[in-house]
Amino acid sequence: MNLFGVMGISASGLSAERTRAEVVASNMANAESTHTAEGGPYQRKEVVFQSASPSSFRMQLAGANGSASVGGVAVRSIVSDAAAPVMRYEPSHPDADANGFVAFPNINPVLEMTDLMGAARAYQMNASAVQAAKQMIQQSIELLK
Amino acid sequence: MGITPSSLGSLAGAASSAFAGNTAPTGDFAGTLGSAMQKVNDLQTSAEQKVTDLLAGNGPDVHAAALSVERASLAFDLMLQVRNKVVGAYQEISRLQF
Repeated sequence: MNLFGVMGISASGLSAERTRAEVVASNMANAESTHTAEGGPYQRKEVVFQSASPSSFRMQLAGANGSASVGGVAVRSIVSDAAAPVMRYEPSHPDADANGFVAFPNINPVLEMTDLMGAARAYQMNASAVQAAKQMIQQSIELLK
Repeated sequence: MGITPSSLGSLAGAASSAFAGNTAPTGDFAGTLGSAMQKVNDLQTSAEQKVTDLLAGNGPDVHAAALSVERASLAFDLMLQVRNKVVGAYQEISRLQF
């Protein structure tokens, strides 16, 4: 791991948490979207993380030899929640069916809010790791003074 | 003898430079110093590019630009301290009395 290894790993965490916050924001913004390009109401999205493959050759070699390797995180995919839509009686709505029911996205504001808070706190945590790495590097440079 | 990560690690540590570890070591001290300075310069250029892209609105994430700037700043600090050491050593020698 070179001088900026911790920073690279934390940067991947920052990117991943930002994506998570983006997905939550999309869910919140589309909480009332009854219309999508694919047809039907908006489907709640969820983000799936995976640990990224170790970046440096030394780490990959260590992994191949059976010892644990470290690396960043990556967004594996963004999946749609297949939960059934909430049917609400609104006969005047343009997307209403023959019985006057409109399919609204099954989005729970409490769930989205806690997820958003989790993403924000995890972002903060990764930013703290960057700070710590920076201080470690600065202290090593201090040794030269 | 089996190849273990630790034995390779010491080899890699000996061969790699402080910054990225991807250039072949040059023989003389001036060459080593020059390539290290070039890397510091590369980091500065990449940081500048990221900030320009960010300000233009088509660039990377904010944190990517911030980290790039931070990397460049730390590398410059290290370079500055090494330079201070070298100049200090030169002055020590130039003050020698014969």
